[in-house]
Amino acid sequence: MQASAALPRALTRGRILPAVVGVWWVATTGLTHASPYTPSADAQILAQIPAGARHAQLPARRLARDRIDVALPLARIYINESRTTGDLRMLGYADAVLAPWVGPNSDSADALILHAAVLQSRHDFSAALRELDRGLRLRPDDPQAWLIRATVLRVLGRYEEASLACRKLSGRVSVAVDTLCEQGLRGLTGELTSAYAALTDLPTHTMPAAERAWRDSELGEMAVRMGRDEAAERWFKDGLASAPEDFYIRAAYADLLLRQRRANDALVLLMGKENLEPLLLRIAIAQKQLHDPGLAASRARLNAVFAAEHQRGEGLHRREEARFLLDVEGEARAALIAATDNWQVQHETDDVLVFVQAANATGSPQAAAAALVFVRENGLEDARLRNQGERL
Amino acid sequence: MLAATNVCAHSASNGFVTLTVSDASVDGSLELAIRDGELAVGLDADTDGRVTWGELRAQQRAIENYVRDRLIIGAGHAPCHLSFAPLQVNERVDGSYLWLPLTAACSATPRQLNIDYRLLDDVDPSHRGLLVLTAVGATQTAVLGGAAGTQSFSFIRPDPWRTLRQFLRTGVWHIWSGIDHLLFLFSLLLPAVLLRREGRWEAVPLARPALLNVVKVVTAFTLAHSITLTLAALDVVRLPSRLTESVIAASIIVAALNNVFPRITDRWRIAFAFGLLHGFGFASVLAEMGLPPGARSVALVAFNLGVEFGQLAVVVAIMPLAFAVRRTTFYCRGVMPWGSTLIACLALVWLFQRALG
Repeated sequence: MQASAALPRALTRGRILPAVVGVWWVATTGLTHASPYTPSADAQILAQIPAGARHAQLPARRLARDRIDVALPLARIYINESRTTGDLRMLGYADAVLAPWVGPNSDSADALILHAAVLQSRHDFSAALRELDRGLRLRPDDPQAWLIRATVLRVLGRYEEASLACRKLSGRVSVAVDTLCEQGLRGLTGELTSAYAALTDLPTHTMPAAERAWRDSELGEMAVRMGRDEAAERWFKDGLASAPEDFYIRAAYADLLLRQRRANDALVLLMGKENLEPLLLRIAIAQKQLHDPGLAASRARLNAVFAAEHQRGEGLHRREEARFLLDVEGEARAALIAATDNWQVQHETDDVLVFVQAANATGSPQAAAAALVFVRENGLEDARLRNQGERL
Repeated sequence: MLAATNVCAHSASNGFVTLTVSDASVDGSLELAIRDGELAVGLDADTDGRVTWGELRAQQRAIENYVRDRLIIGAGHAPCHLSFAPLQVNERVDGSYLWLPLTAACSATPRQLNIDYRLLDDVDPSHRGLLVLTAVGATQTAVLGGAAGTQSFSFIRPDPWRTLRQFLRTGVWHIWSGIDHLLFLFSLLLPAVLLRREGRWEAVPLARPALLNVVKVVTAFTLAHSITLTLAALDVVRLPSRLTESVIAASIIVAALNNVFPRITDRWRIAFAFGLLHGFGFASVLAEMGLPPGARSVALVAFNLGVEFGQLAVVVAIMPLAFAVRRTTFYCRGVMPWGSTLIACLALVWLFQRALG
């Protein structure tokens, strides 16, 4: 890490030899294997342990195996932790406490629906839908189940089915949640302007903070797709004010800033967030725009994350990987492969965008034909895609 | 109760198992994120939410017992006995890991290892052990844990003769299908049967000078590309492929134009200088195939020999013909100037294609 900072300094002072040596050093250390060390002081802190990840909680986890009234609240805590902090391990813990209760003979709708939430967060969408089916058979009106189902189907681009799921919510959830579910889908299927208006008109003074943040996030994303960046920025700022931990809003806001080449503003927004990989990706893009020497460390970390994922055979972050390859590494062909793989799993607007961008960057725009057909068939409007079209 | 966001952050829970099998034993290490170590055996003794080196050190025995219970390495029918060395720390990009050196004593020299990895499986089923196993110079990787259960890894030493034959064939094939290499060589060899006198090409009277010319050019080319092929294949030197491919195209232009406007009479110098870059071109083929670990030198030498044999075969086929027709107008005024010009034009097209991608 130190060599990459020393290198630009050496070059600007005109000392070529140290620069050459520096390059050689960085190149070779990149190739060497792990090097363990023995810390010098007992007091040296090695890691922080988040609440919920303590060994001392083992008795509670053991109890959860036998008592569903211990398992369910514990699972909810883990799932919420993972949602607010993006911690994937928490999903594993939730999986472990739910496992005894979601077997083939499960009779707990609550356990099945929570398990579906875990699967959805892991992008195992078909398994999540199957689990929701099982839960809904036991409790056909469960609003949480229908909401998760609507979300999953929306991510998969199955908008009609998602709309049916949203309709099952009416009367069982607050007006805000009902409207957000329905209008979010209308905004993706050719009614962007009226959906935007409908959400803007929602009264917010009675909304809990979480619903307000969802509304701000949805409106921000819609404004971006309408090409109204100023409005989008206002929504994202509001959203972060009510929910500063929401990394989805932060990532979307960072994308807006990066598109406007306001990389410095993006870095300020993302300060201290290097531990969340989707945000680290945006940090890396900003660093690249600014020729910031910190880019080397960000790249190393992201490369390691994606490499480990490949080794595990999982593709949880394929979309981020595609953007990383395209916008940071400049590897258009590899980005297209990642974007194509990602398209097999999910069809969100950002998945369309990275697919089309990667295809254009390799000079074969027809490679993203599947995404363009999807856009046309659903009447999906996205100003960011129009710019791509002009580049052709 | 809200719709879940679809963005996930943080890496998944990975442990790293590195094992090297030598004749006597299996040595290596197990790494666990400090966080996972806490979950497994409890490290944060003062429950202040932070794990210090002192706290980690104190749990050496607890960690050893945990690993002995949940990492079963067997060879053949009996499990290997695990012994450990003092803990260390390894910094990875996503944080600090505990590093536990281990040795597995197996009853006989293992030809196959069975590994059952069950760390954290009761509290975090998403945890996986990423394995790197090195045996007889070959490296295998695998993902341990999860539903995979016990996995088996066997190691076979690659047969050197088979490797030799395989890479010899590849070398020959590569030079025969490498039009650019052949065109470069032949641009330099076409005038070998001629000599320049008073601004014109004339046939060389005797065979010996022609033979000497051929030998000098071929030897220089062979020597140069062998050197860089070896350096590049062993990863000592690396050049971007776009650069080398472009320079190879440029080398053909130089060699061909030198026949039309002769400037350099010692063509073996051109052969050597550009031969160095052709070597990088050969190396990229090897890189695509991959040198078999445990037989790298055999493969490299065989490939090189294959290239030379293939090259020699073509030279031996064509040069006597050239010698035979060297006096003809067809050769002196036709093949030489016009053939060379054609070659230069073709190479120019390649240069543009390769340089501009």
